[in-house]
Amino acid sequence: MLRRRTYEAVSGYLFVAPAVVLFAVMGLYTVGYGFLLSFARWNGFAPHWDWVGLQNYKDLLWQNPAYAPRLHHAAIHTLYVMVAVPLLTVLVSFPLAVLLNSAKRMQGVLRSVYFVPYVTSGIAVFFAWQYILQPDGAVNSVLSTLGMGSLAQPQGWLGNPDTALPTMIVVTVWGAVPVAMLLYLTGLQGIDRSVLEASQLDGAGWWRTNVSVVWPLVRPITSIVVLLNLRDSLQGFQTFLVMTNGGPGDHTNVLGLEAYRLAFLKDLAPTLGLASALGWILFAAALVIALVNLRVMRSKT
Amino acid sequence: MTTIPLASRPGRAPGAGGAARARRISARVLVGALLALYGVISVYPFLWMVSAAFKNQVEVVRGGHLIPHHPTVHTLVDTWNQLHFFRYFMNSLEVTALTVVLTLAVYAAAGYAFAVLDFPGRGALQKLFVALLFVPGVTVMLPIVLLENKMGILGTHMGLVLPFVNGGAPLSVLLMTGAFATVPKELRESARVDGANEFHIFTRIYLPLTRPALITVALITAIPTWNEYLLTRVSLNDESTYTLPLGLQTLAAQNVPHYNNLMAGALIVVVPVILLFLSLQRYFVNGLVGAVKG
Repeated sequence: MLRRRTYEAVSGYLFVAPAVVLFAVMGLYTVGYGFLLSFARWNGFAPHWDWVGLQNYKDLLWQNPAYAPRLHHAAIHTLYVMVAVPLLTVLVSFPLAVLLNSAKRMQGVLRSVYFVPYVTSGIAVFFAWQYILQPDGAVNSVLSTLGMGSLAQPQGWLGNPDTALPTMIVVTVWGAVPVAMLLYLTGLQGIDRSVLEASQLDGAGWWRTNVSVVWPLVRPITSIVVLLNLRDSLQGFQTFLVMTNGGPGDHTNVLGLEAYRLAFLKDLAPTLGLASALGWILFAAALVIALVNLRVMRSKT
Repeated sequence: MTTIPLASRPGRAPGAGGAARARRISARVLVGALLALYGVISVYPFLWMVSAAFKNQVEVVRGGHLIPHHPTVHTLVDTWNQLHFFRYFMNSLEVTALTVVLTLAVYAAAGYAFAVLDFPGRGALQKLFVALLFVPGVTVMLPIVLLENKMGILGTHMGLVLPFVNGGAPLSVLLMTGAFATVPKELRESARVDGANEFHIFTRIYLPLTRPALITVALITAIPTWNEYLLTRVSLNDESTYTLPLGLQTLAAQNVPHYNNLMAGALIVVVPVILLFLSLQRYFVNGLVGAVKG
C-alpha cells in the first residue's frame, strides 16, 4: 500500500513537472523581477538600478505632476469602462441567450454567427471597426439612410472626443458578448424543466418566468461574466492601442495603455520602474475585485 | 442540447383561440427578427471588411454601398504581393501550432495529475495555477521581454511560444482537470491490475476519452495566439519573423490607409481562424459546456 502511494506521488510530480518548470521561469521569475523593479528607477540599458523605495508608487498616485494627473485621467476612463462593459455585456447576452434558447431552428447557425466577434477579435477586426466608424464610413451612412442623419458624426465616431470613449465601450462589449452568451446558454440548458413548468402553473408568463425564476438561477454565471469583464476592462488595452492609441487628445487613455506606454514607448527615460509599479497597482485592484465578487456571490447563494 | 425549456418559448399563451395563436406567431416573428438583428451586428464589421477587400481604390473612397459595383480580386492579389504575406502566414502557423501542441502536452499532463493522482501539495499547486488568471498581462510583459533578452531568445518564435503557453495555464488546467475527473476510476484500476504503468494509462485510456476537451483547449489557445499582437509587437524586430498581425500593422503604417488594401490584409488574417473555428466548433461548444458543468 505504501509503495503504491509513493509510486503515485512520484508519478504526480512527474506529470506536473513541465507545467511547474515553465511557470517557475515564465511566471514566478518574471513576477518577482517585476515586483522588485517597481521599487527602482531604470531605463532598461543602464548597468544598475537606482533603488527608490515606494517613490514610483507615490509618483504615480499623487506626487509627480508629470505622471499623477495623467494617471487620474486614465483611471476615470478605466472606471467608466469597468462599469459600462460588464453591465452592457450582461444586458445584451442574457436576453440574447434566452431568445436563442427558445429558437427551434437555426440555433446552431446563429450561435456560430454570434461567435464571429470572438473568433476574429484582434487587430484585423479593430481595423475594420475603424473603417466603418470613419466620417464617411458605414455607421454614419446607415444612420443617414434610417433618417437619423442628425446622429451621424461628421468627425467620425472615434474623432469626436465626446463619442470616442462610448464607441470604444460598444466595440468592447461587442467582443465580450459571444463568450458571455455561450455561458448563459449553457446555464439555461442546465435548468431543470420542472422548475419552469411549476412557475408556469403558478400563472407566470414568459416575461415573469425569465425575470423572477431564470435570472436568479443563472446568478453564478452572471457572477463569472461580470468578473471576467471587470478584469478585462481593468487590464485590457489592445483595442484602445490599435483603434485610438488613447486619442483624440487622451480622451480614451486607459490605465493598461498608460502602463504599456511607460514600459515600451519611453525610449531612454527611466520609466521601467514606474511601469512595473502601475502593473502592480492594477494587479492589486484586480485582486480586490475578485475577492469582493466572491464575497457578493457567496452572500447571495 | 436540443431540449427547450417550456418557459423560454415566448408567447405560450393558455387557450387555443385564434387571438392566442396570432399572438404566438407574432411573438415568434419578433424573436426571429431580434435574433437576426444581433446576427447582423455580430458580423457587421466583418461584412465591410469583405466588401472593401473586393473594391478598387476609387470605389472604396466613394464608400456608401456594401456590395461592390465593380468587384475585383486585384486588391487581394495586390495586397498579398505588397508585403511578404506568405512568410507571415507561415510564421503565424508555426507560432500557433507550437503553442497549441506544447499547451496540450504540458497541461493535459498537469490536469491528469490534478484530477487522477494523489500527491502532497496537489491542492495548493492547483489553486496557484488558477490564481494566475488575475496577474495582468501588462504587468509581466516587461519582465518577460527583459528575461528573454538575457536568455537570448527575445525576437525568436520560441520567445513568443513559451509565454503564450504559460499564459494559457489557468484555463487549460481548469478544463483538462474537469475533463479527466469525469473518466470512471474503474478504468484506471483495471488497467493497473493488467500491469499498465501511469504513462500508458494516461496516453491510451484518458487522452482518447477526453478528445472534446483537448480540442476545446486547442481552439481557445489557437484563436487568441493567432490574433496576438501585444507581446509580438514588442518582441519581434526582424521583419522575416513577423506574424500576420504584425504584417497587417506594417501595412497600415506604410501607406496612408488605403482601406481596400488594409481590409484585404485583414481578411487574409481572419479567414484561417474562421475556417478553423467552423470546422471544430461543435467540440468547442460541448467542451465548454462540460467545463462549466464539471
